[in-house]
Amino acid sequence: MKLSPSVRQGSALVGIAGTLLLAGCAAESSSAETTTESATPQTSSAAAPSATSTAASADSGSTYKDGTYTADGSYQTPETVEKISVAITVSQDTVTKVEVTGDPQASETKHYQAQFIGGISAQVVGKKLDDISVSRVSGSSLTSKGFNQALATIRTEAKG
Amino acid sequence: MMDIWRFDAIGTIWEIGTADPLPEGERDAVRETIDDFDQTWSRFRADSLVTALAEEPQEVPAPPDAAAMLDLYRELSLATAGAIQPLIGDSLASRGYDAAYSFRDRGARPAPADWTDRLAWDDGALALHEPALIDIGAIGKGRIVDVVHDLLGSLGHVERLTDAGGDMRVSGAPIRVGLEHPFDGTRAIGVATIADAALCGSAVNRRAWPGEQGGLHHVLDARTGEPVRTYAATWAVAAEAMVSDAVATALFFDGGAEFAAQHGVEWVRMTAAGAVEWSAGNRMEVFA
Repeated sequence: MKLSPSVRQGSALVGIAGTLLLAGCAAESSSAETTTESATPQTSSAAAPSATSTAASADSGSTYKDGTYTADGSYQTPETVEKISVAITVSQDTVTKVEVTGDPQASETKHYQAQFIGGISAQVVGKKLDDISVSRVSGSSLTSKGFNQALATIRTEAKG
Repeated sequence: MMDIWRFDAIGTIWEIGTADPLPEGERDAVRETIDDFDQTWSRFRADSLVTALAEEPQEVPAPPDAAAMLDLYRELSLATAGAIQPLIGDSLASRGYDAAYSFRDRGARPAPADWTDRLAWDDGALALHEPALIDIGAIGKGRIVDVVHDLLGSLGHVERLTDAGGDMRVSGAPIRVGLEHPFDGTRAIGVATIADAALCGSAVNRRAWPGEQGGLHHVLDARTGEPVRTYAATWAVAAEAMVSDAVATALFFDGGAEFAAQHGVEWVRMTAAGAVEWSAGNRMEVFA
């Protein structure tokens, strides 16, 4: 099964960001909204222009009050619920900055985030070179005749 | 369609691709460039600088490529907590991968951790203070690929391919390259599509031989003198071959993926158990 943590995170972000902007224009209320994706992962988000917002004076003509809004969201992995926080800064109805911070729970998420890995697959799939139209191949360096001969000799000796 | 010139050099099989066949004089220049590099850096040659330094530590004028390669080795060594370093020649020879290709395992021999105290390369000089056999295999092939590729460019070949046994750099038209399955040479685990870039691959399958206690191969951890057992094959795509070669080597060790990220290098690697891991990027596709 192909796992791609960055994709799961991306889906969660879309859900949270949408909820945030809806909540942003009603700065007084705190609304909780659940966004569910049709396929895993499931996400939920609670949008609150919270204590971390920096209040800025709003232009009378804008739809959203200028400021920074934070929302916490989560997405489900088979083992855990992963939490992320999104802080969006809005200025004159434009999102000018987005910051995402994670609090990885799953050891695999921690592992990927710490290890700079983008994706994994549990089992390699090999395709015949003839079937994939490539003009050349890269792997371990090809060896010279001298090397190959020496290796053949030692392997014969090792058996005998 | 490029004209391909195929030849043996530095222990591997080269293919140089150019729009038109290279004139004989240019072929000579390429061979000479490779031989100069080999005569400086090859621990397999009795007449090389590194062989002379191992027998008689001393200071010499720094050869071309010394500063560039050793600076990168310093970075790699820090990134991998000492798993990669250039004073690893004696460790390789001890396991049997010696100048005579004896393949007789004489046991694990860790490389000296204080290598930056023993080897200096500043002020235009290369100085070895203690006997040690320099081996630049972690990045050397990438470097010579860059040198030859630049030479061909300076000779006027805009469209060109420099492939040293699977470590390659291409300018001009893009190429599709199979990522060779380390346990089945008739298969690929993915495809790289590269244009104006370098692709280097490394794996444990070819330079492998019987050992006293199980199979050995040439990707040693300098700290222990033992071959790595976790990863079986790595590939990296970068602007230059020396950097992609460095990343391909680093990926066998902890710290390799971070090193790659710091250099903006895209990569794929396969574990000994057959799992595949990859970085973000769109120039390599893994079949999964």
